Amino acid sequence: MDRKRTGVDDFEPGPIPSPRPVDRFGFVKQDQNNSSEGLTKSKPLIDKEREERRARKWRKMIGIGGSDWKHYVRRKPLVVKRRIRKGIPDCLRGLVWQLISGSRDLLLMNAGVYEQLVIYETSASELDIIRDISRTFPSHVFFQQRHGPGQRSLYNVLKAYSVYDRNVGYVQGMGFLAGLLLLYMSEEDAFWLLVALLKGAVHAPMEGLYLVGLPLVQQYLSQFEQLVKEQLPKLGQHFMQEMINPSMYASQWFITVFTYSFPFPLALRIWDVFLFEGVKIVFKVGLALLRYCENELVKLPFEKLINALRYFPQDALNPDVLLPLAYSIKVSKRLEVLTIEYGKRNGELSQPTESRNEQVEVTKQSRK
Amino acid sequence: MATTGINYIPAKLVLLGEMGTGKSSLVLRFVKGQFFDYQESTIGAAFFTQTLAVNETTAKFEIWDTAGQERYHSLAPMYYRGAAAAIVVYDISNTDSFTRAKKWVEELRQHGNPNMVIALAGNKADLVDNKQVEAEVAQTYAQDNGLLFLETSAKTAQGVNELFLEIARRLPKANPTQPSRMIVVDRSSERLVSTSYYCC
Ligand SMILES: Nc1nc2c(ncn2[C@@H]2O[C@H](COP(=O)(O)OP(=O)(O)O)[C@@H](O)[C@H]2O)c(=O)[nH]1
Ligand SMILES: [Mg+2]
Repeated sequence: MDRKRTGVDDFEPGPIPSPRPVDRFGFVKQDQNNSSEGLTKSKPLIDKEREERRARKWRKMIGIGGSDWKHYVRRKPLVVKRRIRKGIPDCLRGLVWQLISGSRDLLLMNAGVYEQLVIYETSASELDIIRDISRTFPSHVFFQQRHGPGQRSLYNVLKAYSVYDRNVGYVQGMGFLAGLLLLYMSEEDAFWLLVALLKGAVHAPMEGLYLVGLPLVQQYLSQFEQLVKEQLPKLGQHFMQEMINPSMYASQWFITVFTYSFPFPLALRIWDVFLFEGVKIVFKVGLALLRYCENELVKLPFEKLINALRYFPQDALNPDVLLPLAYSIKVSKRLEVLTIEYGKRNGELSQPTESRNEQVEVTKQSRK
Repeated sequence: MATTGINYIPAKLVLLGEMGTGKSSLVLRFVKGQFFDYQESTIGAAFFTQTLAVNETTAKFEIWDTAGQERYHSLAPMYYRGAAAAIVVYDISNTDSFTRAKKWVEELRQHGNPNMVIALAGNKADLVDNKQVEAEVAQTYAQDNGLLFLETSAKTAQGVNELFLEIARRLPKANPTQPSRMIVVDRSSERLVSTSYYCC
């Protein structure tokens, strides 16, 4: 997408931040927590070779530009699922994300729409977006430069979405989703992937996370609380005693799908699975985090507990430790039941957590 | 706490106010003495603690910093209910944020704890050249509504400690009936009356 025209280009770009060491994903290195360091430091040669071998397999699977993808998924869905759970090779991530989310199709069906939204429409959310732009991934080189290309793209995507769906507009948290996507694809691709997610191209639509009253946040938190009680009864009991409820620690897990304050390598691996399997991976990862730390958590009083639920130990955040644990936790059936129950209690406003079977026509309808 | 033998008075405090007014920055200044030009946006809410000696006692602030955007409104009651104090923040260089602050004050008066100490903070006081909200206007409003008022700057630290100190001074000396934490136990009754924020 053309990145020249933006809504913020009345400003001169700020100085390019002086080069500081960044990690493999472009985040400025910090001394300790929150950096992706430690998990990716000095990959041994064997890992590198394995990565290359995997990339070759993936290239074969998806075909040139993704041409064989649909065919392959239909023939071997389980192979695809298994490979995605092991992590999509970073060099193919952007492309594969667009294929599995259904956003590539949206883009093809809606040529020119994005440009229209960016250039000609104005949005009531523009001020809110601008206020948050420099506060989204402030430690990533791409987003650091004031009015630089990263910030402009982020602004454009968010503004375009806020016009595309004026009911949602811009909500704090969406910037982290868009930011993550922009590190792997162009503005226009990132925009359509957002549309695919929020409008539900392949899975249940996510827009309820951002609509007035945050109905889907409320629903997911309520379901998460129930799952904690059922699957981790000791911890559930302890949470009750200490008056901890999931809104205090898990709302950002759902609102940003783990892109906020989680190590980037972990966020990426979660997104691989999230885009293919849907929101249930968010529940699984949340439960896995709690389970991994349960023995510690049950000993902590309120204040320490709240902190521990925000800053998990490094080893818990290692994707190769956490994700296998997450995959082993079964939630699908329970979630379905809980969704129905929640719907009954709340006047059937709730949304399914399961994938949809039919592809939804998600375009045009939300625009005038 | 028991280990030190000092008598801490716990005080739950919540920060409210429009996004970008500097709530997180004020907390960070108060708790860690730091300031960042690009403070990451708050998603959901964040919890902090800090102690402050006032005369012969020590107040222990248990602080909830909330996301300010209007869309997150439905999550706010859970944090201000049962709070002993609230800081409502506006940005002196933004009139709209002052209007929003007044709405928060009204809401706290209606739904908050009746003894709540409410402070109005006109933040970003360092931005004198862009000032849109005059201190006198805010001061008058605060007086009329029984609020504590201070202009602050999380950037220069102006007024930040004073703000918390003034709040601590006004806290009831001991408040045995008031749980220091949020009232989540009281869910059973909330479930009946409210669907407007998270409850199960
Ligand atoms: N000049 C100035 N900027 C501030 C001050 N306090 C916060 N900021 C900036 O305003 C922006 C929003 O601050 P933040 O604390 O995240 O606001 P919140 O959304 O209310 O939590 C950030 O870029 C801060 O660096 C202040 O006292 N003076
Ligand atoms: Mg904040």
